[in-house]
Amino acid sequence: MTDSVDPAPPPETFQAFKDSFFYGSRSNLDFKFLADLSETEAGEFFTGLLTELSQTINDGDGSRLVDLARVWQQRAYTAHLDAKTAFRYDDIPFTALDKPLSGARIALVTSSGHFVAGDDPQPLGVANMSQAEAEARVGEFLRAQPTLSTIPIGTPSDQLVVRHGGYPTDAARLDHNVVLPLQPLRDLATMAVIGELAPRAYSFVGATSQLRLRDTIAADWAATLQADAVDAVLLVPV
Amino acid sequence: MSVGHVQRAFEAAGIPTVGIYIRAFEHVPHNMGVSRALITDHPMGRPVGAPGDIDRQRSIVRAALELLPGSTSQQIVRYPHPYRPMDVIVGAQRRETSRNPTDTAPGS
Repeated sequence: MTDSVDPAPPPETFQAFKDSFFYGSRSNLDFKFLADLSETEAGEFFTGLLTELSQTINDGDGSRLVDLARVWQQRAYTAHLDAKTAFRYDDIPFTALDKPLSGARIALVTSSGHFVAGDDPQPLGVANMSQAEAEARVGEFLRAQPTLSTIPIGTPSDQLVVRHGGYPTDAARLDHNVVLPLQPLRDLATMAVIGELAPRAYSFVGATSQLRLRDTIAADWAATLQADAVDAVLLVPV
Repeated sequence: MSVGHVQRAFEAAGIPTVGIYIRAFEHVPHNMGVSRALITDHPMGRPVGAPGDIDRQRSIVRAALELLPGSTSQQIVRYPHPYRPMDVIVGAQRRETSRNPTDTAPGS
């Protein structure tokens, strides 16, 4: 007779462990860059993390952990994503602002995936999609057409919803202004640094079909902003 | 990349633009031929500042907008101050309180 006990699963490799932070079993969008690091680099990251954490246990200062995460994120994206960038252009479309900032009407457009409660863009035909589902289906988002959500500039923060499968949205849930800076813009209008804020801001999910966006949709959105009679646009990518 | 494409289309349509990009994506405005960009030394998901830090958020938005008037060619500028999580401000106060318990602490 053969032994009926299932053999133990093979131990998880370090490669599989670090890659699991990229939309895997340990998905964490703050640390999805681990998949872009070599095993040696990832080992260096974890060793550094624990070394710094030891210091934090002594003095309670967590800022060194923030610095470590930020620096490694930059290192990973600069080294790996730059090389993979598919879209490179030699020309630089440029329009000068022909008035002072204090006389200009400014609009805000972000790729943060915000919308107003009750105005769900229903991506992929799904109503009330969760953040977890957006992360799980990010590959489908990258092939789909983006929707531009309209956000009246006076929208109370508790009426704002954010959902985006491509970046860590927890900071935006704590304070939408980190990616959708409505309050800073309202303040600058009050301070007369800008002439006025356009009545509507706009947001879309930046994880989207780049070709559709580039070849047709972005020009349509430009017409939308022109209809709002804006003088200039502040854009916030995520 | 999405905002790079939007920014190029808006400029081509006659709308001046400026974007706030994090340092990890600094190559994007360079590679994509974006008109104006302010680069912040921030982690992903917090390009305009840490949650709750309205003063820094306002400073960064203002620095970005001030790239708009007067410029006639591409401008990609780094915001000079490092990322400042709110713990730097409130955490220091919290730690100070924990080292020096006030008379409201139980048992004091």
